[in-house]
Amino acid sequence: MPATKIAAKPSLKQIGLSKETLLGLYTNLLKTRMLDERFRKLFRQGRFAGTYFSAVGQEATTVGPTYGLRDEDIIAPSHREIGAAVTKGIPLVHIVAQIYARINSPDKGKTHPCHYGWREKGFISPSSTLAGQTVTGTGCAMGFQIQKKDNVVIAFFGEGATARGGWHEAVNYAGIHKLPIIYVCQNNLWAESVPAHRQAGIKDFSDRAKAYGFPGITIDGNDVVLVHKTAAKAIERARNGEGPTLIECKTYRWYGHSEIDPADYRREEEIIEWKKGDPIARAENLLLDLGIHTSKKREAMVEQINQEIDEAVAACEKEKYAEPEEAYNDVYSENFPVRRDDY
Amino acid sequence: MKKTTLIEAITQTLFEEMERDDRVFLIGQDIGLYGGVFKATKGLLDRFGPERVIDSPISEVYIAGGSVGAAMVGLRPIPEIQFADFITPSMDQIIQQAAKLRYRTGGQWTCPMTIRVCCGGDVGGGLYHSQINEQWFFSQPGLQVVMPATPYDAKGLLKSAIRGEDPVIYFEHKRLYRWVKEELPEDDFTVPIGKAAVRKEGDDITIVSYGFMYHRSIEAAQALEKEGVSAEVIDMRTISPWDRETIYESVKKTSKVVLVQESSKTGGVMGEVSASITEEMFDYLDAPVSRVCGLDVPAIPFAPPMEHFFLPNAEKIARVVKKVMEY
Repeated sequence: MPATKIAAKPSLKQIGLSKETLLGLYTNLLKTRMLDERFRKLFRQGRFAGTYFSAVGQEATTVGPTYGLRDEDIIAPSHREIGAAVTKGIPLVHIVAQIYARINSPDKGKTHPCHYGWREKGFISPSSTLAGQTVTGTGCAMGFQIQKKDNVVIAFFGEGATARGGWHEAVNYAGIHKLPIIYVCQNNLWAESVPAHRQAGIKDFSDRAKAYGFPGITIDGNDVVLVHKTAAKAIERARNGEGPTLIECKTYRWYGHSEIDPADYRREEEIIEWKKGDPIARAENLLLDLGIHTSKKREAMVEQINQEIDEAVAACEKEKYAEPEEAYNDVYSENFPVRRDDY
Repeated sequence: MKKTTLIEAITQTLFEEMERDDRVFLIGQDIGLYGGVFKATKGLLDRFGPERVIDSPISEVYIAGGSVGAAMVGLRPIPEIQFADFITPSMDQIIQQAAKLRYRTGGQWTCPMTIRVCCGGDVGGGLYHSQINEQWFFSQPGLQVVMPATPYDAKGLLKSAIRGEDPVIYFEHKRLYRWVKEELPEDDFTVPIGKAAVRKEGDDITIVSYGFMYHRSIEAAQALEKEGVSAEVIDMRTISPWDRETIYESVKKTSKVVLVQESSKTGGVMGEVSASITEEMFDYLDAPVSRVCGLDVPAIPFAPPMEHFFLPNAEKIARVVKKVMEY
C-alpha cells in the first residue's frame, strides 16, 4: 500500500533521530534521486552504452539501511542499489565512470552499468545473477564471524530473487550460525514483468524468515526514518552476535526494469498511486515540518549536487576507455598470464 | 620409511596448512564429526574446532558461494564437494562468482579458495558417484583446475592451491585414494600449478593423461616397452592453465601423440589439447593426434561390465598407440 501522509507535526524527540542523521538521510536520498534521473537522461541521449537500471522510487530502501555503516561493513548489492553506493561513500566520479565504462572506473570498464563496486568502502561489484550476492554476502558474514570481527553485511535483493534456491541456502545457513547479516528485501511488486502474487504464495516476503529461525519484519519502504531505524536495530543485533534479520521494504519502481523496458505490464493508476508516496518528498516534508529544512536550503542543495554531478560527468566523458588489451588482465594472479593469440 | 597414500597426503596437507595459516578453514558435508565420507578430513575437527572445520547443511550453492564471500574478507576457505556429481548446484557460484570476481571488479577483489572435489570412476559408483566433469571448469577462464595422480603431487598441488591467489578446483580421484602410495619428504614442498610432469621418457610416441588415467597410461607404456615401443608418458597434473610447453617439447621429439581422458570424449579437455597440438605443432606431427576417452554417454553406468566398457584401460590405450605407430 502506498504510504499515508504524516498527520500531526512531529518533534525530533518523537522521531527518535538526531537532526544530523535526518539531514544526512535526506541529503543522500536527494543525491541518489538526482543522479538516477540524470543517468536516465544521459542514457536516452546515447551518452553511454548498454542500458540503465533506475531505482527511482525505491531510494529509501537502500539509503536508510546503509546510512551510518562503517567502511569495513559490506554491502552485497544487486543492480538497483545506487542509493547504497552513494550513501556508502563511493565517490561520485567512480559511480559515473562505472556507468560510462571508462578507464577510471574501479572495474576498468569490464562490467556493465549499475554494477558499481569499490573495495575501499566494502561495496561488492555484483554479478547479474539475482541473489548471487545474497550467497557471497552471507559468506562475508561467515568470514567476519570466523575472524571474530563485529562487522556486518547488508544484502540487498528484490522480492523476485527470494524465489531462488541459492537465496534459501544462504539464508538457512545464516539462521543456523546466527551470522552478522541483514537481509533487505526491496519488494517493488514486480520481478521485471511478473507480479508478486505470481512469485510467491505469501503476501509478506518477510514471512520467509520464519522458516529459518530469525526475525522477519515488513515495513513501509518509502519511509526513510522507519527504514533507517528498523535497519539500525537489526545492525545492532547482528553486531552483538544475535544473528540475522530479514527486512521487507514495500516500495515501488517508478520506471521499467531497465530503460529499454516500457513497463506496459503495469496499470497507470498503480503507478500514479505509488508516486504519491514519493520517499524523497516525504522525507522533505518531514524535515520542513520539523523546522530543520527550508525551501531555500533545498535550492542550495540541489544546485550543489547538480554541480557535483556536472563535474563528475564532464570528467568521465573526457576519460578514455581502457586499451582493448586490458581485456587480458585480471583473469588470474600475476604468475598466470592468459593465452594470447595473434589473429 | 613409511609410505603415504594419496588420501593421507591430503589429510596431512590440511593439517599442515591449517597449522601454518589460521586463515585456512574447511566447510563441507560430513567433514567434521564424521571425518569425511572417505575420511580425508579425519581428526581435523578435534584439532581445529568447529569454527574452522564446519559441517555444513546439504547446500552446495552455499558451500561454494559462502566460501567465495569468506575469501573476499581475507580467509582461505577450502570447501569440499563430496562428489563431483553433486557440484552442479554450485555452478552458479563457481562460474559467475569465483571465476569472474577478479575480472568483474578490475582486480579489486580476489578469490583465493580451493574447492576439493572427490571424483572419478572404476569404483562401482554408478551414474551419480563416478563423475569428474573437469571439462566444465576447464572451459571457464578464471578458474584453475588440478588433478593429482600421486601422493607427492596431491600434497604439493594442494599446498600451492591453498597458498595461491586464485580459485582452484582440486579434483581428488577416489580410485587413487588408497591405491597409490609413496614415501614423501619430511620437509615442506610445493608442486607448481601449471606444470606437467614427464613421468617416463621415450622416443617413439607421447602419451598424455592426468589423474587415474595417468596410471592406466603408464601401465600401457610399460607393456609396450616389452614390444619395442618407447613411449614418453606425461602427467598433466594441472588441467587449467595447462602446460603446453612440456607437451609440445615431447611432440617435437616423438612426432606422435595419444591423449587419454576418463571423461566422455566430446567436449573434453583432450579435444582442446589435440586442437592446440594440431594448430601449433602440425609440422612436427607424423600421425593424427589420437584420443582414448570415456564413452559419449550421460555418465558411467553401474553394472561392472558396462563400467569397464566405459573406461579407458591399458589394453585400449596400447591398441590405439600401436595403430598410431603404424600410421
